[in-house]
Amino acid sequence: MTELKIPNLNRVLLAGRLTRDPELRFTPSGTAVCNFSMALNRRFKDQAGNWQDEPTFVNVVAWQSAAENIGKHLHKGSPVLVEGRLESRSWETETGQKRNSLEVRADNVRFLERFESTPAAPGPEEPSESPDI
Amino acid sequence: MSELRLADLNRVFMVGRLTKDPELRQTTNGTSVANFTIALNRRYKSATGEWKDEATYVGVVAWQKLAELCKQYLAKGRAVLVEGKLQNRNWETEDGQKRSTIEIRADRIEFLDREGRPAIGAGTPETESSPAPVHGEEPAFSKSDDDLPF
Repeated sequence: MTELKIPNLNRVLLAGRLTRDPELRFTPSGTAVCNFSMALNRRFKDQAGNWQDEPTFVNVVAWQSAAENIGKHLHKGSPVLVEGRLESRSWETETGQKRNSLEVRADNVRFLERFESTPAAPGPEEPSESPDI
Repeated sequence: MSELRLADLNRVFMVGRLTKDPELRQTTNGTSVANFTIALNRRYKSATGEWKDEATYVGVVAWQKLAELCKQYLAKGRAVLVEGKLQNRNWETEDGQKRSTIEIRADRIEFLDREGRPAIGAGTPETESSPAPVHGEEPAFSKSDDDLPF
């Protein structure tokens, strides 16, 4: 029998809404980077049988053309579907302390909102299909 | 046309190895909780064309029966497949600063090592068993199955 090796598996699928406007920056070499935070909701029944909503907040980073599209089209409240992987981010605080946090590095971000098309175009086909980035 | 609502989608799949033995605690009402950290590896080609390995450390929390099974069968170095959801964890440092991170709340943990439960990386011969997936809601076996061969 062949020996197995451990697969490098790190996959995240999330749907939620942006909690604030995305921040688009460019690295010194000109690569676009976009950071945003999203809120996911979990709806569950508590012990008394009432529906409860529990939010989870996740930071996401996207690069290159995805970053530019997010920066251009999304804003606080926009619904998105994010596919990516968990990644650590290390940084230093102003007082020089080292911090570490986890964020999602998106490799696929889908916009879930129908964009307002200028004059309401009748017909079954929406001209403004959400761009796949 | 009716309005859509946003899907509740929060799903993660990770494979990694435990960086330490799992810690098992009981909440004040007696519920079991296990915490451990897994190291995930990612291999990629650097700009100069060499293969590099990059580790990411992710905290995992399991509850109830699943927590107890983790304590029983897992140890530092063991490989697991974790399926679950992301959740926030907030805590305070000793000097009272607020910190926040995300961790995985496991719904399902599959033990990927073939050999029996003790020993970390001990060169014991393989047994004829395949690892059973362990579900959070429906434990795959009962408490008395002490001689389970996985």
